[in-house]
Amino acid sequence: MSETVKQILDRLYPDGYLGRLGKVYTDTSDFMRITGGDVIVLAGEHYLVLRDEVERSFGVEDPKYWVKRCRHLESGERRILKLVFYETFSLSMGDMKIPCYRSPRKEARILDLVRNDPRFMQGFPAADEAGNNVRVLYVVQGKRLDNWIDDLDVDHPTYFQTHLPGILEKFIVSCQAINDLHKMGEKHGDIRRDHLWVTYDTGDYVWIDFDYTFNFHENPFGLDIFGLGGLLLYIVGKGFYSHEEVRQLIDRNRKIPAIEPEDFLLVFKNRLANLQKIFPYIPDAVNQMLLHFSSGSRVYYETMDEFLQDLTTCLKQVK
Amino acid sequence: MDTNKILIAADGSENAERAIDYVTDILQGAAGFHIKLLSIEHLPDRDFFADDTAWKDACVKNREKLIAFLAHGKERLTKSGIPEKQVQTDYVESCHSPLAEKPDYCSRGTSIALDILHVAKTERFKTVVIGRRGVSKAEEFMFGSVSNRIIHAGSDCTIWVVQ
Repeated sequence: MSETVKQILDRLYPDGYLGRLGKVYTDTSDFMRITGGDVIVLAGEHYLVLRDEVERSFGVEDPKYWVKRCRHLESGERRILKLVFYETFSLSMGDMKIPCYRSPRKEARILDLVRNDPRFMQGFPAADEAGNNVRVLYVVQGKRLDNWIDDLDVDHPTYFQTHLPGILEKFIVSCQAINDLHKMGEKHGDIRRDHLWVTYDTGDYVWIDFDYTFNFHENPFGLDIFGLGGLLLYIVGKGFYSHEEVRQLIDRNRKIPAIEPEDFLLVFKNRLANLQKIFPYIPDAVNQMLLHFSSGSRVYYETMDEFLQDLTTCLKQVK
Repeated sequence: MDTNKILIAADGSENAERAIDYVTDILQGAAGFHIKLLSIEHLPDRDFFADDTAWKDACVKNREKLIAFLAHGKERLTKSGIPEKQVQTDYVESCHSPLAEKPDYCSRGTSIALDILHVAKTERFKTVVIGRRGVSKAEEFMFGSVSNRIIHAGSDCTIWVVQ
């Protein structure tokens, strides 16, 4: 007869406190039922479920029932288990709705491709008894890059002079990682502020969450490049600047040239791309790069090679 | 100059139908033209399917649909009076197709536009016809546009973009 959760914990985690003794799961298909206190067994290894992962945005908590925060009982370390959840949905980008698909097999394949590459989250796919492609992930010990930048308690000129060169250097490494992924025929698929993390130990940047996929055939990497453009804008600006924030700067008697609709991002029309208008010390090469993502742009980046080439020039200008 | 050779890009969409209609109207059965209806296989994304069997089934349906579209397009052109032997159809297989038949040329799936231009160049078509979706600037950035890339990358041929 198979072990109970109590027997497993007595054997592997005798000193651990647990409020609830749940069930042992070898088939994770019904992931909604699996909750704190349950144990998931994958390839003979035991994962004690602590709770469901929660995504926080705009102050709203969105539980992700298919993502479980766990303790790997054999090692005592924390792990994240992403259970199989097929989801087709529309990703909203400004006025556009992009058909999107959550693909466990894509993420599993990329985990194999980027094994031991510190620029990406690490983990491995493991099939459960029902053949579900579960991804076992090592927790990135760090902080979201945008939060890390937010927490720098300096004004923009100081940030620009003191912190930006180092951040850009590391960001280039992250962009090279995406370029390498593209060269392997894969896309990240979900490049956004909360998917690039700064590790506590090295300060290096790590990409997480690459299970989104899209069916773009003429410009398969366009969405990734656009995501990087948005991140670059955030990095250079130490945040995004809406119409309202620009208005507040003007109210504070800052002399700012007239802001036109084409100064804002092409897709997110409430984010100023032409940052030079509010921060005149931003070098031309940097601002030109940001303007590639603006409503006024007539040329776009088609490849990461082009993007990286300009980014390298930017770094030289801010150093 | 093979100005009488016309290549129509036919992806099974309404835009491609408009392109075929346009060529049919403009030629009105005129003699001496050689027309090729060309489809580049665009595989459904493998990651959209739980397993390879489901993906392969979708690839088969995709192929059947496009080949039927080509046959239908050919019928429309020949009904307008163009002799049947002067209308060809061609289906360029994807290099990654699970139904691979090892053709001389296959599409690597990185740019349909460049595949179309490759066929035009190697087979000396001097006119390339394509229907246009009319995408927004943002959509073009994100998803790309076959017609725009053909306009920018095409050389040594005339390009008709049917709106």
